[in-house]
Amino acid sequence: MRAVRLSFLQMLACLGRDRMLAVACAAPVLAGGLFRFGIPFLEAELTEWLSVPAIIAPYYRLIDVFFGMLSPAMFCFASAMVSLEEADERTAAYLFVTPLGRRGYLAARLGVPGAAAFLVTLVLLPAFRLTAFSAAALLLLAAAGALQGVIVALLILTVSSNKLEGMAVAKLSMLPVFGAAVPFFIEEDVQYVLFWLPSYWMGRAAWGDGLLSMVPAFALSGVWIWVLPRMYLRKKMNGS
Amino acid sequence: MRVKAMFLADMRFQARYGFYFLYAVLTVVYGMVLYALPEGWREKAAAILIFSDPASMGLFFMGAIVLLEKSQRTPWAFAASPVRPMEYVIGKVGSLSAVSLAVAAVLALTAGVGNLPMVLLGTAMAGGMFTLSGIVVAAKISSLNQFILWTVPVEVVGFVPAVLHLFGITPDWLRYYPVNVCMEMVSGAVPSPAGIFVAAAWTAVLLGLSGQAVLAMWGSGGGGKL
Repeated sequence: MRAVRLSFLQMLACLGRDRMLAVACAAPVLAGGLFRFGIPFLEAELTEWLSVPAIIAPYYRLIDVFFGMLSPAMFCFASAMVSLEEADERTAAYLFVTPLGRRGYLAARLGVPGAAAFLVTLVLLPAFRLTAFSAAALLLLAAAGALQGVIVALLILTVSSNKLEGMAVAKLSMLPVFGAAVPFFIEEDVQYVLFWLPSYWMGRAAWGDGLLSMVPAFALSGVWIWVLPRMYLRKKMNGS
Repeated sequence: MRVKAMFLADMRFQARYGFYFLYAVLTVVYGMVLYALPEGWREKAAAILIFSDPASMGLFFMGAIVLLEKSQRTPWAFAASPVRPMEYVIGKVGSLSAVSLAVAAVLALTAGVGNLPMVLLGTAMAGGMFTLSGIVVAAKISSLNQFILWTVPVEVVGFVPAVLHLFGITPDWLRYYPVNVCMEMVSGAVPSPAGIFVAAAWTAVLLGLSGQAVLAMWGSGGGGKL
């Protein structure tokens, strides 16, 4: 536990040197302000200009879901970038043979940032939400958002073996986040093609299915988080 | 001759690290998104997609490309070779533009945008500006997170006015703003000759700045000066 804490603090120091730490802390607050005040303002302007009753308002719930995934995505993405640097500089390989170990390394780089993002989302989402949430819904959305952030970071680390591949995978691995929008825009049964994305079920819960849809979201997140670290550790054991 | 060698080496590099696979997947995804949209939205959506991804891929990836080269010590090998900074820069811009143009052509055809040559010219020009900006930033940084932070201002001044311009909510004088000129072309419209001149002049300035930045990067290795 001490090794995980020290390794996490080491990563924080690294992020602090790049000023990424300050940005990762400030950006969710700034984005929250923009979501909370900018979007209703834009909606008012657009509806008046186009003389229609609503344009963005039917999607406020979806915007809240995206905001619930924003802090975890930022925290875990920044951590994944540090891990990619460590992979390229071969420092990760040295950390694996210290008391930190492979699992401790993953816990320090992704587990702790994910948990921190969960707490930050619990504070920020009630402050900047556009629609009303029950306490249970808020808790579940923050938890599912944190797991989504960890999955994105794990995908980046598992599939790529250097910075460049990491950036390419980062681009692709952000696409599953948009699964949340599918229930809002595709009414036909073809939307079930994306049933394997946790974000799809988060979107369904927000769309009107209620909190029961969060059960598959957590179950699928569990499967992703069970499979991806094993693939990552196997890749590291093989030396790539 | 050296420019051609740099261009081909960069294309091999991009193929090895999965660029072509990535953009094949993204093109399919973007094509599906365009296809799912109502017909009236497709042209504007295609312009935004082309401008924000294939055209700006150089800005997104340049940090990782240059940092990977730094970690493999290739800049210092270039410094000792006959390759000139401008040849290095042109190789990078040319190879990334080739991918941008291929993706932009597919998306423009999927969306049914008229005036394909203008779309491709706009994509090449915007791609050049973004890639050159990426080189200027990447030459000075030492980590990916630093690069991501430094490119945020470039993205803000590069994307926000262009998207607003596409929807006609910018003042008239901003049609001479270089990225707005590119956005007009990417959407299939023909910009004014003055606009094209300003955009070309800005690209030339960025070309000069990126050449200087690469020269400075090659001149410093491991904390010492070569």
